[in-house]
Amino acid sequence: MENPYKTLGVKENASEEEIKKAYRDMVKKYHPDQYRNNPLSKLAEERLAEINEAYDYITKNRFSGRSWNTGGQTNSRNWSTSGDFGGDPEFSNISSNINSGNLDYAETLLNRISNRNAKWYYLMGVLNLKRGRYDVAYSHIENAVNMDPGNDEYRNTLNRMNMSNSTYRNNAYNSGYGGDANLCNTCSCLCCADSCCECMGGDCIPCC
Amino acid sequence: MFGYINPLKAEMKMREYEIFKAYYCAVCKSIKKKCGQLPRLALSYDAAFLAVLLSSLSDVPLQAKRMNCAVHPLKKGSVITTDDTIIEYAAEMNIILAYYNLKDSFKDDKSLSAAFGSALLKRCAGRVKKKYPQKCAIIEALLSQQEKLETAKCGSMDEAAEPFAGIMQEVLCYEGEPVNKKSGEILRWLGYNLGKWIYILDALDDIEKDLKKKTYNPLIYQFEITEDNPDDDLETLLGRVEFNLTHTLSQISSSMELLDMKKNKSIAENIINMGMLAKTEQIINKRGAAKKIGKSV
Repeated sequence: MENPYKTLGVKENASEEEIKKAYRDMVKKYHPDQYRNNPLSKLAEERLAEINEAYDYITKNRFSGRSWNTGGQTNSRNWSTSGDFGGDPEFSNISSNINSGNLDYAETLLNRISNRNAKWYYLMGVLNLKRGRYDVAYSHIENAVNMDPGNDEYRNTLNRMNMSNSTYRNNAYNSGYGGDANLCNTCSCLCCADSCCECMGGDCIPCC
Repeated sequence: MFGYINPLKAEMKMREYEIFKAYYCAVCKSIKKKCGQLPRLALSYDAAFLAVLLSSLSDVPLQAKRMNCAVHPLKKGSVITTDDTIIEYAAEMNIILAYYNLKDSFKDDKSLSAAFGSALLKRCAGRVKKKYPQKCAIIEALLSQQEKLETAKCGSMDEAAEPFAGIMQEVLCYEGEPVNKKSGEILRWLGYNLGKWIYILDALDDIEKDLKKKTYNPLIYQFEITEDNPDDDLETLLGRVEFNLTHTLSQISSSMELLDMKKNKSIAENIINMGMLAKTEQIINKRGAAKKIGKSV
């Protein structure tokens, strides 16, 4: 095991709060939701396991006696297509092929099926998601949700795709992206305010 | 290569910008050493990004030297002197991609500048091909696949982007130290998404030009855009393209998080999380604004 403090990116003398925060940030960053249906999901899982291990180690050795056991919850969950297809052996077979990466074979099997129901669209969507064809994938999964609105798995997958996008955007905004736009807003507000003033007879910005 | 990969300078620390520039200069100097002065014109920030990303994995501490520059003779600039094999690789990839790109555009529109450029790079590109025969064979196979999709007028941006995505996957797949099996796998997925992003963004940027010149563009076929009514269903198009582009960026960003970066992390984060987002929004807004102007006229 690597130095657990290094894994969490904190100093060895970091406070309890700092360690907790670093841990929470790391879990968010490497959460399986961020890597679902993505060829790197195994690597992300490994990384998360390392982080959990490091956190467990630190908590056991530093704050012994206290028990907050949040670690280890996330990586025990099953993050692949559920394979629960109402006992349909054909779809279960395709699903397991998608999960193990036999994408070409799964696609051939899917194309052979003429009855294109919600399950079919969902599996076709996940297959394309794994291939990196996000436009096609989104349309198929959206289709599946529309055909079977009560299915949580379909809906969750669609939500996760949207989530990745907003996580990426929030990352940018949190690191200062879009700051210029605010500056522009300030300027245009000033200009607006000035026009109002001019109507009333005053003028704080003489050039406009 | 294409010039879509840029840092967001406003959100960069001075030191980070200096380092990024020093990488750029190092790649430029490496091109000069291999091919002479003129091919330096083919250099883009994309190659500097490649050098920043790959050398972030090596734990050799960064070193730079102040050097004179033939392109800007009055300025002395810092040039990175460490990780020279990586910098050389970035230069070579820049040359080979620029060469293929020029050859392709000469085939398309027979322009003189493309003919001149590809002739200029030919000898040097030949040397790169000799050094990486396998890699170049894969790239050439993907290029001919791309040509097939273009003649078949492929109407899916995802499929049309795939060969180029494969090319970038190959380009990012640097073999040898400091890239190991694990980081190689991450770089491949990152490269695939990077290529996809570049191709689709380029298609969006070129819709008008391609309509006029009647050249192939996947978006024209997927959304059935006609010259008489180019903005018929612009909202659907922009919505779908924006989703797709943002999703590729989210994949690039989460791949980067998995890399064990020893240096340059904040620079790579700036480029991936902000610079590329800014470029995406800039091109989407340009298309959106074109519609508004069209309406008011």
